[in-house]
Amino acid sequence: MAIELASARYRYAGSASAALGPIDLRVEEGRVVGVAGANESGKSTLCLVAAGLAPGVIGGKRDGSVRIDGADAAALKPHELAQRCGILFQHAATQLSHSTATVFEEVAFGPCNLGLRIPEVVERVWAALRAAGVEALAARDPGRLSGGQAQLVALASVLAMRPKYLILDEPTSELDPAGTTLVADALTRVAAETGAGILLIEHKTDVLARIADEVIVLERGAVALSGPAAAVLADPRLSDLGVEPPAAVRLERAVRAAAIEWSAALAEAVR
Amino acid sequence: MGLLRRWVARQFTTRVIVLMPVAIAINIVLGYTVQSGLKLPIYVDSIGTILVGVLGGPLPGMFTGALSNLIWQYAPGIGSGSQIGPFAITAAVIGLLAGVWGQLGLFRPRRGHALNIVAAVVAVVLIGAMALYTYGRAFSSPDQFANATFKSASAFDQSRFFFLVVMAVFVVLVGWALVLRRDIGAVFAISAGLFTGIVAAVVSAPIYAFFYGGLSGSGTDAIVAAFRSGGDSLYQATLKQGLLSDPIDKMITTFVVFFLVGSLSRRFVARFPNGEKLVGPEAEPEAVPPADPPAEPEPKAASDAG
Amino acid sequence: MALSSPRPLAAGPVLPDYVTRKPSGFYRSLNPATKLAVAVLEVVAAFTIPGWSGPGLVLAVLVVVAAASRTLRSLIVIGFAALPLVASILVVNLFLLPGASDPIARIGPLAPTWSGLWFGLMTAARLLAFSSAVALAYLTTPVDDLLADFSRRGLGRRGVFVVGAAVQMVPRTIERAGEIMDAQRARGMDTEGRIWRRVRGLVPLAAPMVFGALSEVEERAMALESRGFTAPGRQTLLRVPPDRLIDRVLRWLAAAGVVAIAALRITGKVG
Repeated sequence: MAIELASARYRYAGSASAALGPIDLRVEEGRVVGVAGANESGKSTLCLVAAGLAPGVIGGKRDGSVRIDGADAAALKPHELAQRCGILFQHAATQLSHSTATVFEEVAFGPCNLGLRIPEVVERVWAALRAAGVEALAARDPGRLSGGQAQLVALASVLAMRPKYLILDEPTSELDPAGTTLVADALTRVAAETGAGILLIEHKTDVLARIADEVIVLERGAVALSGPAAAVLADPRLSDLGVEPPAAVRLERAVRAAAIEWSAALAEAVR
Repeated sequence: MGLLRRWVARQFTTRVIVLMPVAIAINIVLGYTVQSGLKLPIYVDSIGTILVGVLGGPLPGMFTGALSNLIWQYAPGIGSGSQIGPFAITAAVIGLLAGVWGQLGLFRPRRGHALNIVAAVVAVVLIGAMALYTYGRAFSSPDQFANATFKSASAFDQSRFFFLVVMAVFVVLVGWALVLRRDIGAVFAISAGLFTGIVAAVVSAPIYAFFYGGLSGSGTDAIVAAFRSGGDSLYQATLKQGLLSDPIDKMITTFVVFFLVGSLSRRFVARFPNGEKLVGPEAEPEAVPPADPPAEPEPKAASDAG
Repeated sequence: MALSSPRPLAAGPVLPDYVTRKPSGFYRSLNPATKLAVAVLEVVAAFTIPGWSGPGLVLAVLVVVAAASRTLRSLIVIGFAALPLVASILVVNLFLLPGASDPIARIGPLAPTWSGLWFGLMTAARLLAFSSAVALAYLTTPVDDLLADFSRRGLGRRGVFVVGAAVQMVPRTIERAGEIMDAQRARGMDTEGRIWRRVRGLVPLAAPMVFGALSEVEERAMALESRGFTAPGRQTLLRVPPDRLIDRVLRWLAAAGVVAIAALRITGKVG
């Protein structure tokens, strides 16, 4: 079971040229697919298209097919999409509803909207909080969280919908290194424990190096590179495509260029 | 009945629902800031209301206005719990009217075609006539507005004076808009603001008089006091004060909203319920950036949208 | 409110205390609708019973109830905030009531009158009674509780969201406004100068606030949709304030009181 994009193209409403496409992509359950690329290369558009929000919620025109577990994304209503495919954006503040008094109620917002019974709501909330690693924040005021905490709470809110796939658009871009680590760890945990398929847009390639199974690189809305994470991230064409290789790769290149021997132990130390 | 339901549902899209709380908060915060920080004799507590009305329609505008006042009264997160709850009625009317103006396309940018200019002149004449009539009545006839002595000659002079002040502001704002944007649409928008202001004053006067004895604890009380000392009744005095402050306030607010909406990208505005009516056919075709990132309204004014 | 969040034990999933937030004290634990009904009765009484005995009586009742529900100090603070208005009312009416011909004294051109004083006191008392009645309702019924009760009585999730989010947005918007004004002052915006300059200073304050609000609309809307905001059916209510017999009785009494006062006023028995 997977999210499958086949020859998908997308053009924003009022725009003359396609922002994305044609793209073929497959995100399978339990796998983490990383997406990198320069600014304006179509990464955010890919998120919206894969989640079915484009054209479903924001309009525009989509060609080709986007299927989530076999169902055409365009045929699903927003709340049905939400239960199949959770999406997380960069700005934590805009994803919290700001209408709840505690983190618990914030995470319960989704399940309550679905009309689930209270015992199930409570179970889902605790499970989501645990998966995101923020159980200790359950009683806190969502308006008074740090950036990293807020992003994790937003993640928990999405997880409470029990989606099979998670799409994340640069979730760590506004976070400091500590926050970034928290989120990356949470994602690894989610992939391992819930078996969700994850599509992760990141320009911090170190994060991709840590958690992605495969990586694709976009350029002007089309796939320029794709393959297993380690191979793609070590590809020399990465910089030309506007993507900075991970620190380990850059270090290795610098070391080799200085004619120093690069050993496996060094590679481990840098990881 | 089904038609009505659909008309209602069309106005409360998720985008509008999401905009409303922010608009309410802006109303409250700007209203308070302007009163205490900038110390201007205007209220500026309806920018959010008019914005939601223009973008979303009469019903969202109405609710935004009413809720702003009710929330400000009930759960004052700011400053003194203003005794502003009863003005929810006025605010609702303002929002309703803003929605109507939006649907009538009065906030659309318009080029200077002959037809548009004629329409603009007609609008100004109509508004001017209406204003003149209202001011004349308010300042001359007591039988509509409770009983008190009135001095006919000076009362009529008062009305002319006030009318001139308000129209002067009108002309200044329109002139400024035309210089800045060469957009005849500004004339329509500001005229709509004048109309809204007059209606707001007429609706507010009884509320003021009944609840507050016509006073508000702010600088405008001096004006009311002056009228009272001249022998006006409660209703009359508050109406006269209102007819000075409200139109000016609403014209300024509408002017600001007109410019802000005009600075948004077509694509962004088009997704709102009133969107079609706000993007005129005369607007230039959109420049197309290679890969549009979503969610930016791309204001043409170079202000940082954060 | 518990600061830590104990995991639910084997007894089955229950809502934590900090979510149910049961109020303490007799008056506070009344149903929100009841407290609103009482406030309506108080306001009607204050404005319908003529003279300043009516509002005075209402104020006395308010003070007693506030003391009983331990909100008296806050009530007084809110009352003080109405002082400029009260002062204005008293002064203007004292000196400038038209047609008043019973001066207390003559101080140069000024002649305070008894009827002015009477009218001023009445108006001020009515105003204080009104705002205190609302304030008491607010102090004993937080917005969350009010919304929870309205939800139970049929207010949809959109209404609950708009009001709840608006209340939470106000402090955030205040901070934002402060930041904007500081930034603008640093660029030379006048907050003290002549009127014309201050009017011009309005746009640099309002514009960033509005643009900021609009720029978030799209993402917020998508975030809400992703949490099932537009799912059909009734949402689950986590908090349902109880509606006991005493509540119904009190509401009936309040309604009867309103009708009685109105009837007495209309038939001229009073005033």
